[in-house]
Amino acid sequence: MKETLEVINQMQADGIIGRYAIGGAVGATFYLEPVATMDIDVFVSFRELPDSRLISLSPLFDYLKARGYEARGEYIVIGGWPVQFLPPGDALGEEALAEAVETNVESVPTRVMTAEHLVAIALQLGRAKDQARILQFIEVGALDVDKLDTILSRYGLLEKWARFGYKYLEDNS
Amino acid sequence: MNARMRTILNSKRTERLRLAGLSFSEKVALLEKLRDRSRAIVSTALYQKRSSRGRKVLVLRERREAANKFRVKS
Repeated sequence: MKETLEVINQMQADGIIGRYAIGGAVGATFYLEPVATMDIDVFVSFRELPDSRLISLSPLFDYLKARGYEARGEYIVIGGWPVQFLPPGDALGEEALAEAVETNVESVPTRVMTAEHLVAIALQLGRAKDQARILQFIEVGALDVDKLDTILSRYGLLEKWARFGYKYLEDNS
Repeated sequence: MNARMRTILNSKRTERLRLAGLSFSEKVALLEKLRDRSRAIVSTALYQKRSSRGRKVLVLRERREAANKFRVKS
């Protein structure tokens, strides 16, 4: 993954992408036990086309292909890892990207979404595996509950959180 | 749940907490081993999709909803 992150950092330095943050399963691994995953979800600020609200991935794919990296569908394989570059998608994603924490992998700097944002996004997605991941965050005690509540409130997710809590958590009120 | 099972589950939880406490670099090294192992398993002859003929198939609701969302209307 060292090479993967070095390439992404270079893309940022070259202006191909803006700020980025790792989310998804690899992002969650920063806080949890490692679990098998086949790809890396990298959330990035993309350049919008002039006079358009469309986001173009072409410059990104062209840049990487010119450097010998192979595209496989929506993924580009960099340093042995299929990487999916994703726009934030909504205000929650934008905030998660903006407030990502700095860390490093083998001295290569990178950014990872906070635990609270990862949980909020997982709650929003609501798939079975997202719910399992939320439970992992709770089990290891990785969450600042007050910060999480603030984020959930801001993005209209408190009701979903209440339903999740009713299903899985003990009532300690 | 008997005492033996409780001990086993507690030891698993302890190991999960230990792994969660590793550095990100150490975790990434484990991720890469897990990824390589998953690829190796998927590529073996044992890992085959079974035919659903005559078998009850369980489908996650989210998968069915996603499939219906993108189905082309005839």
